[in-house]
Formats: sequence, structure tokens, C-alpha cells
Amino acid sequence: MASGAGEELVNSWVKIGADNIITAIVPHCEMGQGVHSVLAQMLADELDADWANVRVMQAPTDGNYIVSDTARMFAAPFTLNAADWIEPTYDGLFTQIGRLADVLITGGSSSIRSTGQYQMRIAGAAARVMLKEAAAKAWDVPADEITTQDSTLTHAGSGKTAPYAEFAAAAAEQSMPSSPTLKTPDAYRLMGKSIPRSDIPAKVNGTAQFGIDAEPGGAQLAYAAIRRPLVAGTQILSMDASDAQTMPGVQQVLNMGDFAAIVADSYWQAQQALALLKTEFTEPESDILSTADQFARFTAALDDAGDTGGDEAASKGDAAAAFEEGAVQLEAEYKVPYLAHAPMEPINCTAHVTDGKCDIWTSTQVPLMARSAAAEAIGLSADDITVHHPFLGGAFGRRLSSEYVPMAARIAKATGYPVKMIWSREEDTQKSNYRPADIVRFKGALNKDGALASYASLFTQRHDPAEASVPSMYDIPNTQVRVAESELHLPFAAWRSVDHSQHGFFTESFIDEAAHAAGADPLAFRKSMLGKSPRHMAVLSKVAEMSGWGADGGSETTKGVAIVESFGTVVAQVAEVDMSKGSPRVTKVWAACDAGYVMNPDGFRNQIEGGIVFALSAALYGELDLADGAVVQSNFHDYKMVRINECPDIEVALINSGDVPIGGAGEPGVPPLAPAVTNAIFASTGKRLRELPIAKQFA
Amino acid sequence: MALREILALGIGSAMLVSCGSSEQPPVEQIVVKEPGAADPSNSASGAAEAGAEAGADLIAAGKAAFAVCSACHAVEAGERSAIGPNLYGIVGRVAGSVEGYSYSAAMAGSGLTWDAAELDAFIANPSAKVPGTSMSAGAVSDPERRAAIIAYLTSLAPE
Repeated sequence: MASGAGEELVNSWVKIGADNIITAIVPHCEMGQGVHSVLAQMLADELDADWANVRVMQAPTDGNYIVSDTARMFAAPFTLNAADWIEPTYDGLFTQIGRLADVLITGGSSSIRSTGQYQMRIAGAAARVMLKEAAAKAWDVPADEITTQDSTLTHAGSGKTAPYAEFAAAAAEQSMPSSPTLKTPDAYRLMGKSIPRSDIPAKVNGTAQFGIDAEPGGAQLAYAAIRRPLVAGTQILSMDASDAQTMPGVQQVLNMGDFAAIVADSYWQAQQALALLKTEFTEPESDILSTADQFARFTAALDDAGDTGGDEAASKGDAAAAFEEGAVQLEAEYKVPYLAHAPMEPINCTAHVTDGKCDIWTSTQVPLMARSAAAEAIGLSADDITVHHPFLGGAFGRRLSSEYVPMAARIAKATGYPVKMIWSREEDTQKSNYRPADIVRFKGALNKDGALASYASLFTQRHDPAEASVPSMYDIPNTQVRVAESELHLPFAAWRSVDHSQHGFFTESFIDEAAHAAGADPLAFRKSMLGKSPRHMAVLSKVAEMSGWGADGGSETTKGVAIVESFGTVVAQVAEVDMSKGSPRVTKVWAACDAGYVMNPDGFRNQIEGGIVFALSAALYGELDLADGAVVQSNFHDYKMVRINECPDIEVALINSGDVPIGGAGEPGVPPLAPAVTNAIFASTGKRLRELPIAKQFA
Repeated sequence: MALREILALGIGSAMLVSCGSSEQPPVEQIVVKEPGAADPSNSASGAAEAGAEAGADLIAAGKAAFAVCSACHAVEAGERSAIGPNLYGIVGRVAGSVEGYSYSAAMAGSGLTWDAAELDAFIANPSAKVPGTSMSAGAVSDPERRAAIIAYLTSLAPE
């Protein structure tokens, strides 16, 4: 399965070579987040392995490796507290659900807190127990007298010592303990330490292999450029290849119904020919053709729901009555645009279909779902398909959708030889799936003491996580959160932090409005509502201390604050903005984070910093418009990223509060950034930004 | 994460696989040549014709080529200059004369008036034409591409 000659698979997640090299088999995808390295670090610590001789291997995509604890996170009702239903197990019910549902997912900021905590650590600890049992039998000593360190077994009493490799085969014969004792933090040797990532050297020297680098052997590789209809959901009505097929290098021109493809000797030739391919498309069925149409649809849904309609997502007290009785009433409407993920590595997939088998090479967050989708599209069983998935050049949720995989499989089946399909940047910007646009309407009221007595919101998009729209950390006596669902013209995608990406902005902007209406300091106002949320209180205090909150007199900059809990991690950010040139320049961001316990502080900081920069691009510039049913923006010139000269200084502080299931790192840095920036802009200009992106409002 | 959606999708796919009912072959398949084979003999003239057709709309080609440039240069009349100066009305203009844009001393003192020939030389190698210019990127080595870009720039002017 995963072991080769001279290697012994001790259990599903760890193998030991004759040279005493320990290999951690990790089920998650490496997309720049450093997870391969940290998962190995967790396993190696529990195994007492010599870190210098630990290697990482991507788990084979054969259906045997699934991330069952991620499956449970996805399948469990959201009202359950994770601690109540996650317990270490090897092959329980959730593993079976996982197999059925192809749950080999990397997303939801879940790898460390689910697979790491509940599979890799247990696998490492179990392997250590099995090695000790094997040695105890051979040496005829009690297992509990054997100690382990640096991949070596030692029995002090008899003076016997041996490398793990010597007992690897015998260890695999031992019964596997289902709940081995895990280390407590005081015994960690690798966990909690900023151990350098194992994937970095290959990425620096250029030897790292990404999906787009696939070079299947055996037959000459051809390249495909593709065109999908501009309007989501439409099909190709007709194709005229008379010019395209005369272009140099062209092998085949394909009309696949839902897309057209040119297969050529090189990708450049395929693209050049595609530019001359004439295609006509069916008429859009949706009557949402413009940005204005989309927002009008949202507005109609909100109007229909009025003060009482829609689905109630959360409710406490009587928000409507408290609003009527309020000393100060606040009403505000916020909106956000569609966003693309724009990962740096273009969407690509290489496929070879031969003799009833199919090999696929691609960058994906969901390799088993990709396998099933390809199987369905070319009429093979999933067992006949092998998905090779090397590093991902970024994903941010884009590669949770694998619609491009069956496309490549269909092209390869039609040609009979291996084909590498690469999407142009324009294809991915305009014909992908997206963070949805939305509008939210708020009503809130302050009581005579200036405290927030009522908070009510109504919006149209509810995807995941369900709690994203609920300001549950704040002690507000009367809250009501409602959803009036409305149609999206563009397909939905999870976009780094998903619903938190818009609700962080919505909620933390409106809370800021309430603070200013109360004449209170925005940070102190938030603290006044966090009496029942000590973790949040501590995080907010930390970011205040780091940023010197309240001491900005005389400076040209102003500060804004926001706090969001997402994916188990509480993050507060203070953004410092310089408005002296008339348009905002974000000069510094401080972030305080409590994930319970951080397994690799440097890796965690990297994720928060990356989240902040990603969120800043979206906050300043991110916007997709619709015209004639199609996305207007096409490439990085009109879907901008922040440049290095616009990147703020970032300072990240970590709090290990320890007494909760640990939180994620990949997404929680994103949600507080936009409101921290717009709140800072308000502090400077008195202009409340109720929509994103920011930059165009100062052009 | 699209938690529920993804799980539902995964289960759905697994079921469809077992039915094996939704294979999607090509609607239309044109085989021009086998991989590794030489291009069919007519392809050279075909390419030339196609090239001529593509070249017929030089301004459109220039606009497409300009996408890279537009990361720094605005082109709408009255639009604020970004990293580089606004290029609306560039042809016929004295170099370094856009109001409110902070030019390098080299460009401001170049004494150039932008016509097609000067633009061609500058775009081919900016720092050779105007040593000290702050246009550090954007050299276009392909003469046809430069011609298309200049045709497009020429079109950016009042009717």
C-alpha cells in the first residue's frame, strides 16, 4: 500500500525504514500552509522520533487514507461542541462515513486540530507503544521499563539499546492500542516549537513539484487550452474551427458541450489556436445579468422578509421590543461584492486514459472527490483511477471544487493520449466559483446607559460555518439573526474563512457604529460586552497593549479594531491607517490570537500574516462585477492584489490559553482585517464605509 | 469550508459512479493530426491567413497587449494617474506633462514629444531611450506587439 522494500508500515500513518528513517504518512494536501511538516512534527513527537531523520509522504489516494476526524467536523451538527464528540478512534463510524463521502479534504482550517490531534498524534503514540511491546518480548523485560528517545529504544536495567528499525517488523505484529496515552504539553519536545518547515528547501531551490509540473512518462504529452461559456450555466451552441484547426501544432479541436478545447503540441500553440476558435453559446436562463440585477435581487428578498420574515438563525430575548424601547436607534445596510480566489498556480489537470484505467495529476484540496468526479465523467469505476496530487500553488478554497478534473479526463479519453489542460488566468477569474456578494441590514439600539441592548441582522447568504453571522461572544441581551435566502448568479465557493469573510466585516463594522453612537472608545465598548467571554477579553487586551491603543495623539495615523472568532481561534486585529494623502494606506497591523495551543508558532504566524495580506487585497481592491451575465474582471490588472510596497508591517502575538480544543490557523487571520481597516478610516475621516472594496471609494 | 455542500456532493458523486450513467463524450471531435506528426501541409498558409485576420484589428490587438501595461497606466480621460502616468492623449503630447504625476527628472527633462517612432523606441527599451526613467518594467521586444500597442495608444484621444 504505502510501504516499499526495506520499509515496515507500523500502522497506517507511520513507516520505519531499515536505515531508521521514520516516514509520516500525511493525508492532507500541502498548499503553502505548511501542514505536511507540522503533522509530521506532531506524529514524531508522540513517537519520540529523531526529527533529523523524519520524512513526510503524501498519503496515497486509494480510498484507504481518509481524514475521518475532518469527516466528523463536516458531518457533525454544528450545535455540538467539538469536545463532546471528538474522541480518539481508529476506524469508527466516522471513518466509514468518510469513505462513502470521499472525505479527503484539506480545508476548514482543520488539518492540525482534527487530523493532527486525533490521528497523527495517536498514530505516533501507538507506534511507540508497539515498538516497546516488541522490544520487551525480545529482551524479556517489562515494556514499561523501556524508554524511548531519538528513534532509539533503551532498557536501562539490562543495558540493552536498539534503533527503532530493529523492531519495526515485530512492532507491526503487535496489537494496535486504540487509545494510547498522549503527551501533556510539559513533555512535548517538538510540538509547540517553531521547527523549520520540511517543504521549504525544495520550494527555494525550485525542485518542488506542483500539479502543473506533471510529466507523465510513457507517451508524448499534449497540451489543452479550454474555453467555457462566459455566462455560468450556458452551453456551446455551435463551434467554427475553420481557422483554429489550421494553426501550427494543433492536434484536435473538441466541442465538449459545456466547453471547447484545443489540443496541441505545446500550450502556447493551443492558446493561439483557441483565440481563433469561434464559439456561440446558448442564451442565459438567469435574468440576473448585471451587478445591479444581483443586488436588486438581494434587496427584494430582504424587503420581502421585512421585520419578521426569513429563517431565524439565532435569537435571544426580544430584539424588536428592545429596539423600540432604545434610547438611541441605529439602522445600517452593508454590502460586499463577489470575490475570486485567484490562486497563483493556474487551474490545471493532466490526465491519461488507457486500457480502462486513468491516471490524473492535479492540484486539489479534494483528491477523492476529484477521483469520483472523473470516474463518473468517463464511465470508469473510482478504483480504476489514480489521482496524483503534488503540492498546490495556492488554493484558498478554489480547489475544493474539482470541476476541472473531469474536464481533463474527458479530453484525455477523447484523445487516447496524455493531455495537460491548463486554464488561462481569464478562464479562472471569469468562469470559476466565488465568495458570494451579499447585503445585510442591521437594526440596533443603545439603552439610556449607552450599552447595546438590541442587535438584529438580516442577510441573504448563509453557507458555512453556520455560527459566522452570530455575535455570540458579545453579551447583548436581545439578539436576532435572520436569513432571507436569495438566488446567486455565480456559483458559490468556500473562500478563505467562508461566511466569516463577510460577516466579520458586517458585525464588527456595526459594533463600531454602536460604539461611536454611544460616545465610547471602540475597544472599551467591545470589552464592556465580553464579561462572559474571557478568552476574547484577553485577546482584545493583548492587541490593545501591543498596538498602544488610545495613545495616538498628534500622529497622522488612526487605528481601528475588530475581533472575530473563527475555526476555533479568536483573533483581534488593530489596523493603523494613514489618510494624509487622501486615500488609505494601511501602515501596520497588530494581531493577537488565541488558538488554545499553537503547534508550530512560526507556521501559525505565517498563516495569520498571509491571511492579513490576502484579506487586505480583498478589502482594498477585491470586486467582481457582472455585465451581460458574465464576470467583467479578467486578470490581475483589474483584479488586483496588494503589492509589496502596500504591505503593512505585521506583528502577531500568540496566546496559548490551553483549556479548549485547539483552533485553526489558515483562515482566522482573514475576517477581522477589513473591519479593522474601515474602522480606522472612520476614526480618521468620519466616513463610515458600508461596502467593500475600499480603494475605489477614495479614487 | 462549504461543509454540508461538499459532503452532499461527495456522497452524490459516489452514488453516480456506481450507476455509471453520466459519461460525457465530445459533441464534436476534429482530429487534425496525431501527436508527434508534422502539421498538415496547408497549415503554414492557413496560419498566415489567420494571422492577417487577427492583425486586421490592430487596435483590438493592441488593447489586449496593453493589459499588462494597465497594471500601472490609466487610460480613461481624466482618470487619476496610478503607478505610471495616465496615457490618454499620449500621442502628440510633450513627455513629462501629465498634471499631478510625479515624473523622474530624466523624463521631465527629456524634451521628447511622443510620436509613433519615439514611443516605439521607448517601449522597446525604456531605460536606453530615457536613461533614468522610473519605468522599470514593460519593455516590449516584439515589434509587431509594439506597433499594436502604439495603434491602441493613438486611439486614446478625443474623437
